[in-house]
Amino acid sequence: MQIFVDANGSRRVVARLVSLTVAIGLIVFAAVIGGTLLEMW
Amino acid sequence: MRRAPRLHWISILLGLLVLMSVVSFHAYTAIRPEPVQHAREHRDLPERTLALAFHGGPDPKWTPRLLATLREAGIKATFFVTGTQVTRNPDVTRRIADEGHQIALDGFRVEGDLGNPLNLAFAQAALADALGTHTRLVGAPVEVDSGDRDYQDIGTLVRMSLQHGGGVVRLHDDGSIGADIARELARTPGYRFVTVTGDRPVEATATERFTGAVTTWSQRNGGLVLTLLGTAIAIAALLGLLRTLMQLGLAHTDRRLRREGEHEPPPWFAPPVSVVIPAYNEAVNIAATVRSIAANNHCADVEVIVVDDGSTDGTADRAEELGLPGVTVIRQANQGKPAALNTGIRKAKHDVLVLLDGDTIFEPGTIGELVQPFADSQVGAVSGNAKVGNRRGLLGRWQHLEYCAGSNLDRQILHALRCIPTVPGAVGAFRKAALTDVGGVSDDTLAEDTDLTMAVTRAGWRVAYRQQAKAWTEAPSTVHGLFRQRYRWSYGTFQAMWKHRGALLEKGPMGRFGLIYLLAFHLLLPMLAPVMDLYVLYGFIVADAPLALIVWTVFLLLQTASAGYALRLDGESLKPLWAYPLQQLVYRQLMYAVVIQSLITAWHGTQLRWMSVRRTGLLTDAPGGTVHVT
Repeated sequence: MQIFVDANGSRRVVARLVSLTVAIGLIVFAAVIGGTLLEMW
Repeated sequence: MRRAPRLHWISILLGLLVLMSVVSFHAYTAIRPEPVQHAREHRDLPERTLALAFHGGPDPKWTPRLLATLREAGIKATFFVTGTQVTRNPDVTRRIADEGHQIALDGFRVEGDLGNPLNLAFAQAALADALGTHTRLVGAPVEVDSGDRDYQDIGTLVRMSLQHGGGVVRLHDDGSIGADIARELARTPGYRFVTVTGDRPVEATATERFTGAVTTWSQRNGGLVLTLLGTAIAIAALLGLLRTLMQLGLAHTDRRLRREGEHEPPPWFAPPVSVVIPAYNEAVNIAATVRSIAANNHCADVEVIVVDDGSTDGTADRAEELGLPGVTVIRQANQGKPAALNTGIRKAKHDVLVLLDGDTIFEPGTIGELVQPFADSQVGAVSGNAKVGNRRGLLGRWQHLEYCAGSNLDRQILHALRCIPTVPGAVGAFRKAALTDVGGVSDDTLAEDTDLTMAVTRAGWRVAYRQQAKAWTEAPSTVHGLFRQRYRWSYGTFQAMWKHRGALLEKGPMGRFGLIYLLAFHLLLPMLAPVMDLYVLYGFIVADAPLALIVWTVFLLLQTASAGYALRLDGESLKPLWAYPLQQLVYRQLMYAVVIQSLITAWHGTQLRWMSVRRTGLLTDAPGGTVHVT
């Protein structure tokens, strides 16, 4: 087994979830800020 | 290979975008431009009715004093606030509202800049955060100028304020005079005081408050983000400078020592050598490689063992067809490069082994030069000088520059520190005893050469660098190919570093210098360096463009000079140096991406397999011109 390799793939799932959460969080965050600023115009 | 993880790139890029927005917004609010004149509406007030309109605040010192005066006089006034001041003084803003005065907007950065709709939105956001409301009264109406910006005599100011016998009077609360005028006007008999309009503030929605909180945070803490970025840049710059100084200093010392050695050369050392060539689908290059080895001028026996690791393109056949004496071809089922190397090492009959890839061309004198350091019985491994054989095109030139200015100069430093972490697979030699000590080549990592070298060093052997032992290798000719190759190298190096992390606590050069060097310059520096690019971009767009250009140019010149010196040390022409500045724009960022991708892959725990580079068989810059095998 190579160094760092995850035997059952659970780390991969967790990492993907973290990436997905961060990406969606940032998109929602940007949308809320941008949307509100547009509305305030 | 399984598909490389990509989702994290979206997160990283979005994160950088948010970070850039925060610092840009901070810079935007920090600048106070000239006030803007805007068209004003006319507002009719009854005779002898005054609406006091205060501008330029809220101010932490003068506004509270004014509020006390207004309270004593029983006057309700209108405060035309500016957004950035509201964010700076939220408590004062709240006091204005709590004491029943009317809050109106006059600007975001400066009075009158609300003609820009984005400024209006930012100003409303600032109010939403400070008060939880937004206001409908935006921009001051036609006003009676109290003259408080031009005169100081209180009698004149009161006279000017009352010149029309009523109306909206323009005053300021960012100085002491506003409160004095208000006090005097309150004492003048026969006047009634009102606010500019009777509008009540409107409750802000939850998203307005959230936006307000974010913009306020950005205005206040953008400076902190900039400081953090600045610290990262300082560390990156320091590391970069340290590396350049070390490169120049040590390469120079090494060169001097070698020159001294040339005056009194040690006796020529010529042990018999076994050459092991592991090959997987190298049919295009293998004949040229084996021919170049067979054409060696080494003064002792040279045995060549080609280990075909289950190739499907007839690599073994091509090697056998050559019919060269002293060349043995071994075929085995595909088991990976480490297994192929181990097979070759087992079959080798001599004590000194030269290991090279199936895509490398040796010069006639390479083997003889490569084995010289073995005259010292403590030397267990020797690294040769790998050169890019295909330098046509920008990508080839960039890699050539990187091999000379990066890898080879690095190797000279590490040679001086006695902790070379990698004897490259392209050109290296090992003492059989050293390989036996470490149990052969391990398949724990994708960078089996780094892993093996670290193991040999930890086993107590010295690793030397022989610059004169030149080998020509085919570098990837596409960006995609380059990314894949470097991704494997970088990921493999991290695997090897992790595997040998125990060396940090051991006595010996590998832990003390080698791992720390790799950590600092192959992990930390590439991670921090993108911040530098980001900062320069910020400097160009938002802040001081000429300064950013100067800093960037100075660093570029320093690095170019260092690269030029490396080329000179390696006996290369300085011509390709023109491509170096361009390298900073594409190539460098590609290398950061490689390091980040490697770290993410390590975190994910994805199993990567051997990624081969697509071969063209064109090593046009190798000695003898085109070595094209047909």
